[in-house]
Amino acid sequence: MKIQLHKQTSNVTVLILAILVTGLFSFSLPNKSISSETENPGNEKIIDKKAESMPIYGNWKSYTKKDGLPSDKIYCVRVDEDRVWAGTSQGLALLENGEWKVYTEEDGLAHRGVLSIDVSPVTGDLWIATMSGLNRFSGGKFDTYTQFNSGLANDVIYSVICDGKDVWVATGGGAGVLDTYTGKWGIYTDQNAPMHEPWTYNVCAGGGKIFIAAWGGGVIEWDKSTKRFRDYTDPDGEMEIDLFADDGLVHDITTAVSYDDDILWVATYFGLSRYDGNHWKGYFDHDSGLASNFINFVKADGPVAWLCTDDGLSSFNGETWVTYKNLGTNKSGNVIIDGNSERERILKATKSISHNFTIGVDFKDDEIWVATSKGLSRGEVVGQSDVKTSKL
Amino acid sequence: MNAPFTKIISLIAIFFLFLIISVRAQYKEKNYGNTPDEVVPYGNFQDAYIKHFMEPYPFLGAGREKPEPRGLKTIRIGFLGPLEGSKDDAKGKQMLQGATLAMEQANAKGGFRGIPFELMPHNDVGLWGAAANEVVTMDDEGVWTILGSINDIVTHVAIRVALKCEIPVINIGDPDPTLTETGIPWVIRVISDDRQSSYALTNRMYKIDGHKRVSLLRTNSRYGRVGTGEFKDASRRMGFPVAVEVRFEDGDTDFTDQLNTIKKNNSDAVVLWGDAKELALIINQMRTMGLNQPVYTCDRAVSPEFLEIAGDNANGVITTSQYDPKANSLKLKKFQKAYKERYHMEPDVFAAHSYDGMSIAIESIEMAGLNRTLIRDLLTDMKTFQNYQGVTGEIVFDGSWNDIGQIFMVEIKDDDFNFSPFIMNDQTLTGSTK
Repeated sequence: MKIQLHKQTSNVTVLILAILVTGLFSFSLPNKSISSETENPGNEKIIDKKAESMPIYGNWKSYTKKDGLPSDKIYCVRVDEDRVWAGTSQGLALLENGEWKVYTEEDGLAHRGVLSIDVSPVTGDLWIATMSGLNRFSGGKFDTYTQFNSGLANDVIYSVICDGKDVWVATGGGAGVLDTYTGKWGIYTDQNAPMHEPWTYNVCAGGGKIFIAAWGGGVIEWDKSTKRFRDYTDPDGEMEIDLFADDGLVHDITTAVSYDDDILWVATYFGLSRYDGNHWKGYFDHDSGLASNFINFVKADGPVAWLCTDDGLSSFNGETWVTYKNLGTNKSGNVIIDGNSERERILKATKSISHNFTIGVDFKDDEIWVATSKGLSRGEVVGQSDVKTSKL
Repeated sequence: MNAPFTKIISLIAIFFLFLIISVRAQYKEKNYGNTPDEVVPYGNFQDAYIKHFMEPYPFLGAGREKPEPRGLKTIRIGFLGPLEGSKDDAKGKQMLQGATLAMEQANAKGGFRGIPFELMPHNDVGLWGAAANEVVTMDDEGVWTILGSINDIVTHVAIRVALKCEIPVINIGDPDPTLTETGIPWVIRVISDDRQSSYALTNRMYKIDGHKRVSLLRTNSRYGRVGTGEFKDASRRMGFPVAVEVRFEDGDTDFTDQLNTIKKNNSDAVVLWGDAKELALIINQMRTMGLNQPVYTCDRAVSPEFLEIAGDNANGVITTSQYDPKANSLKLKKFQKAYKERYHMEPDVFAAHSYDGMSIAIESIEMAGLNRTLIRDLLTDMKTFQNYQGVTGEIVFDGSWNDIGQIFMVEIKDDDFNFSPFIMNDQTLTGSTK
């Protein structure tokens, strides 16, 4: 089938259509050009209002094995008031009163590989997703849940979240939920949910719903009020392409989901998707300020989404991007600000995240904690996006 | 508004419109995975905004700086396959034997700096998602790479854990096209997938043999669903959508209902997708029911079991193969001889690719040393093992590290398999250099 313009279409109609469509595409394109700090020394003068609302983090401090962590490879981080929990490849670590305490299998941890952590808002218990079972850490004691003694679909737990009394997990064999009041488990796989594939990778809660990143199956939404599932997949149905950037999910291989401020953010290894309940929008490293299409994790904090990519940490509020990159040669880095109505600015920072391969992120007040492939980093808000380099 | 002015403004506006669209739409140019132009998704209607896998992903994480461990008594390589309790046990056994033979030969030459290699076999069948748990166990065992597996679900589950653990995986038996399309920069595949087989089959069926109306009978498993996905897409895009698709369960022995459906549909050819035993049983029943159309199958028909069960009905069947076991290759003959001497049986396709996979794994460890990230770097650099000459022929990686090297058409004549290199009609294969 070929689409042809009707021969009788008037010139005026063509003109109007062309201008309208041109205008639409122009509005959707980022007006992007690159300038360095030296090229644009007065960079703070060209910032729009949205850009001003983006927090900029600096004064980075990094923690590694030298500081008491069991490993430099940090899978996840979770801030619980004055305590910071880090899941590493060699155990669970707690930073409290400036000291690191490490928990391993000898203490009752199900496996040394800790992939995800959450804190119950109901009991304050810590729920720990490991590579070989789920732990509850309560009163200084670990309880372990596995395929053998619980309703877990698989022992490799990629993600855990606490949603009220319910504990949701994304595992290598499907999603699951534990009602901590009744002790009953629910398992969701391709057998009883609209998943194209049985394996899941991440889970989040928000807006009265649970969202599951189903690796190869897009996003599965569980409506808690209607008790019904629905799924979101890449409309083009092809793994090797994204036909249109804004027609839906950018890819079915989803790695993480996060919901806040009525926005669903979906991370993939092929770009980022944002869904406001009506429209999808796709973002890629070649057409936006996203550091890389390879996104390990996303976490929304109000209107701002934080993207843990393999080549830096990006934040985005729908208008303006701020990306943090370690320059590699020393502890210094770049803060790259890229808004719709401003040119890209690069601020030099004397300190930065410990590694550009970022895997997890969490916040507390003006603090940000970033889990990376080589170390855990803590930053603090040093201003908004009109910050001067000297403050970084 | 006068007409010439309107036309000029229109042309200018349209020029800028197409300029903007082209800037957004054209990301890369050439076709992924040897896809013929006419089969490119949406190729007749719209250029994709992004085309993935045109270039390999780098791995930007840490790990290269890790020092080699000292005092190791063996150099462990993991193996994941169907070893017990699966319908694929026979394939798993061949796969394990192929890997073991390559490792024994390497150890006979001194192993790794005098330290012997040790195979760590793991059964991928067991509890739901067993492969995930097995990969974690292999990580605990300290393996340097993993070989495996055959089943697509098992392998998908395994590679995600391997990604977290950062263990290089060499796939040697799973033809699921989506396996390497997950974007995991720790996985390579050294066997052609069902995308390549589908392009070969559709080319033969529609362009050479001139079929127009085809029925599909496939296993109701993920292997059948995903394996035939590319076949159905290619058929539709070539102008010959599959007329009817019916399914069977693995282990079925009676296909009357499905074949009656096909019979009513007046198709001029039938495509079968499943394991050798079911394929043979279906053909036998087809002929008994008077269904005499030409039969095309997936590559699993290339098996002595198929010939044995189908008997005379096997003759005339056309299928594909990921390698030519009769190729005039000294390396292949040497492998076949050694394999037969060691195991007293002929190697199958899984044994041969497993042998190649293990050889590559060992070579990568010898070159990179004991560092998983550096081993990964070598396996995926598109240079070190690009055009690797294995016993199965030349391995050609595409941007997703999938083997898009030469595959073969197979015609069964006189109760024997006859192999010939597949050459795309009207299109030259980019990855075919053998």
